[in-house]
Amino acid sequence: MLLLDYQNVLIETLLRDRAAPASIDQVVSDFDGVTFHISTQESKSKIQVSISVKCFSELVQYGAEEVLQREYGPYIVAPEQGYDFSVQVDLDQLPEDQESRDDLIRRISLLKRNAMAAPFESAFTEHAALATEASKYTSESAPQGVREGGAVRAIHYRDEEAIFIKASHDRVTVIFSTVFREETDRVFGKVFLQEFVDARRRAIQNAPQVLFKSEPPLELEGIPGVRKGEEKGEMGYITFVLFPRHLTPQRREEVISHIQTFRDYFHYHIKASKAYIHSRMRRRTADFLQVLRRARPENEEKERKTASGRTFRVQ
Amino acid sequence: MAPQTPAVVMDNGTGYTKLGFAGNDAPSFVFPTAIASKGPAAGGAGSGSGRPAVANKPSFLTGGAGPGGHLSGKRGTEDLDFFIGDEALAAASGPGYGVHYPIRHGQIENWDHMERFWSNSIFKYLRVEPEDHYFLLTEPPLNPPENRENTAEIMFESFNCAGLYIAVQAVLALAASWTSSKVQDRSLTGTVIDSGEGVTHVIPVAEGYVIGSSIKSVPIAGRDITYFVQSLLRDRGEPDSSLKTAEKIKEEFCYVSSDIVKEFTRYDKEPERFEKYNVKQPGGREVTVDVGYERFLAPEIFFNPEIYSSDFLTPLPNIVDTVIQTSPIDVRRGLYKNIVLSGGSTLYKDFGRRLQRDIRHLVDERIKASELRSGGAKSGGLEVQVISYKKQRQRHGPWFGGSLLGQTPEFRSYCHTKAEYDEIGPSIVRRFALLGGPGQ
Repeated sequence: MLLLDYQNVLIETLLRDRAAPASIDQVVSDFDGVTFHISTQESKSKIQVSISVKCFSELVQYGAEEVLQREYGPYIVAPEQGYDFSVQVDLDQLPEDQESRDDLIRRISLLKRNAMAAPFESAFTEHAALATEASKYTSESAPQGVREGGAVRAIHYRDEEAIFIKASHDRVTVIFSTVFREETDRVFGKVFLQEFVDARRRAIQNAPQVLFKSEPPLELEGIPGVRKGEEKGEMGYITFVLFPRHLTPQRREEVISHIQTFRDYFHYHIKASKAYIHSRMRRRTADFLQVLRRARPENEEKERKTASGRTFRVQ
Repeated sequence: MAPQTPAVVMDNGTGYTKLGFAGNDAPSFVFPTAIASKGPAAGGAGSGSGRPAVANKPSFLTGGAGPGGHLSGKRGTEDLDFFIGDEALAAASGPGYGVHYPIRHGQIENWDHMERFWSNSIFKYLRVEPEDHYFLLTEPPLNPPENRENTAEIMFESFNCAGLYIAVQAVLALAASWTSSKVQDRSLTGTVIDSGEGVTHVIPVAEGYVIGSSIKSVPIAGRDITYFVQSLLRDRGEPDSSLKTAEKIKEEFCYVSSDIVKEFTRYDKEPERFEKYNVKQPGGREVTVDVGYERFLAPEIFFNPEIYSSDFLTPLPNIVDTVIQTSPIDVRRGLYKNIVLSGGSTLYKDFGRRLQRDIRHLVDERIKASELRSGGAKSGGLEVQVISYKKQRQRHGPWFGGSLLGQTPEFRSYCHTKAEYDEIGPSIVRRFALLGGPGQ
C-alpha cells in the first residue's frame, strides 16, 4: 500500500455488504481526531452516519456547508447530538442501478474528505477569480490586492498542527505545520521530506514545488497562532506550491484528496520505513547468530597433564 | 492530545483478527490473520521471504564490500507491496503473491509479517494515528514474556502509540461475561472455555491470573465439526457436500440435544424437524440438501468424541472437571461457579445448559462417593454454573471484554505510556496492573 485510501473502509464495507438489516451502533475514529458514529436509530434499514471534526467551525466558515449540501443533498438530516454533521441512508430506498448505488456508497465513505475539502475548494475558486483579474494587468501595474493574493485560510485540524491555504493569481500555496515529538521520527521525516523536495528536480517535472523549513514561511507572517520554530526543532513547515496546471477543474478533486491525506501519508511512511529497518535488523541479527553458532569450537580432544607432567587420556 | 479518542482494541488470533474501538458492541473488522507478500520464498532467501534481502555474509566478512546485491533496489517500495486479511487471500489466489500466517498456535511467529500486518491494520482499516490512541492488545495464556517485549517494541518504537495494555484473552473473556444477567459479582475468577476454529482451550483463571499448570486443550473445535457434518452429508450422498455447505449447515441448523437417543426417536416421530438447505452452486445451479440428524449430532462430538475421532475420547465436561480439580483447592468453588463460554463454536443452542448438566453430574457423583466414604458426613453442595451471554458478544468474547475494559475511565491509568517505555525499556511490559481486578 503506497497511498492511503481517502475513504473510510468501515463505512464503505458496512454499506456495501449489507445483506440482512441488523442494528449497528458503532463509534469509530478516523485520522486527525475525526469521529464517526454509525447507527441505526429509527429502523434497522436506516443507517445514520454522523461525523465530528475538531475544526468544523472553521470549515463552515470556509463554506463546508455548501460542499456537503452539494455532495449529500437529500440525505442530510439534522446533526446528531454531539456531532457536527449527519447523513442518513435508507437501505430500502437505494438507487436501483448498481452504478449510482456504488457512487452513493463511495460518496458517503468520503464524508471526512468532503468535509475537509471546503477550504481547498474555496481557495481554488479564489485563485481562478484572481487569475482572471490578474490577466487584465501587467505584473507591475497590478493593484496590491491582486499581487498579494487572498487571505490565508487556516484549518487547525489537530491540536498543534494546522493547514494554511493561500490563493494568489498564479498559484495556491498549502502549508502544513508539523510537530515531531520523537527524535527518530524527526530524522526520518527530514530524509523523507528531502525526497519530496528533490523529486521535482530529479524525475517528476510537473510535481508541485515542495519546500521544507523549520521557520514559518513568509506567507504566514502576522497570522495568529503560528509558532516559531523552537530550538529543539520540533516544529516544521512544509509548503506545497500548486501551480495552475494542478488546479484545472479535472484535476481538482484528486489534488484535494491527495493533499488532505498528506500528513497521514507522511506519518504512515515514516512508520513503514521503521518497520522495514526493523525487519532488516532482525534479519541481520539472525545472520550474526548463525555466524556465532558456526564459530563454536567443537569438543576437541585435548591432552591433559598431571602436575608431575605425566599425560593421560580421557576415557 | 484530545483525551476522548477511543482506545483501539486488537485481538490477533491464530485464525482471525478482530479490530475495533473500545466502547463498541462488536469489532469493526474481522478478517483472517493472513498477509500476502510478493514472491513466495523466491530468490533462495529461504524462510525469510518477504524480508529484504541482506547479503548472505555480514559486511565485515565480505571485506567491506557490503551487501551489494540489493543496493540498486534501495529506492524500491517492495516492502509496501503486500495485502492483509481477506485481500491477502484474494491476492494469493492470483500469481505472484504468497500467503503467510504470522500467528501460529496463538503466538506470533514471524515478527516481520506481524509488524506489517499491524501497520496495515492501523493505517488502512482502522485509520487512526497511533500517536493519538491507546492500544489494547491480547495475548494467549502462557505467552512468553519475550513475545510481550517484542510486541511492545513494535508498538512503541515503530508506531509510537500513546499507551499500551496487553491482556490475556481468557481474562478478557471473563470480563466480557459480566454483561450476562447471570453474573452477580464482577470477579475475575472462573473457567474459560474458548473454542474457536482450530482448538478448544479450557483455562482456569483465579483473580485475573491464569493457572498455567492446569490449562488443557481439546483437539476438537469448529473445523472438526464442519468436517463431521461434511462426512455425514457425503455418507448420505447429498448433491452438494462441499466444505462451505457443511459450514453453513453447521452455523444455521445445529444445536445441542439433551439426549441423543431421545432426539433420534423424536426426529422419527416428527418429520418436520428435518430441514432443507438450498445451495447455489458456482455454475448457477441450485440444489437442495437435506439436513437431518447432523443438526444435533455435530455439536455432540464435544460430549461424545468417540463418534468422530478415535484417538481423542475424553468428553469436554470431563476435561473441564479435571482442569478444575487440578487447580488449587481454594479457588475450585469459584471456578465451578463461573464457567464462561467464548468463541464461535460455543454458540450452539443449549450448549451451555448441556455442559452445566454434565459437569454437575460429575460433581454430584463425586460428592456422593465421598459422603459415602466419610460415613455419614453431609456436603453442603457445590454450585456449578455455565455462563453464556449475548451471541454476538460471545463469539468475539476476548475482543468484547477488551472493548468493555478499554472504555472505562481507569483504563488509561493501567496502560504503560510511551514516556514510561522510553524511561524503562521493553521490560516494562512484563508486568501490567490487573485491569478490572480487585480494588475497583
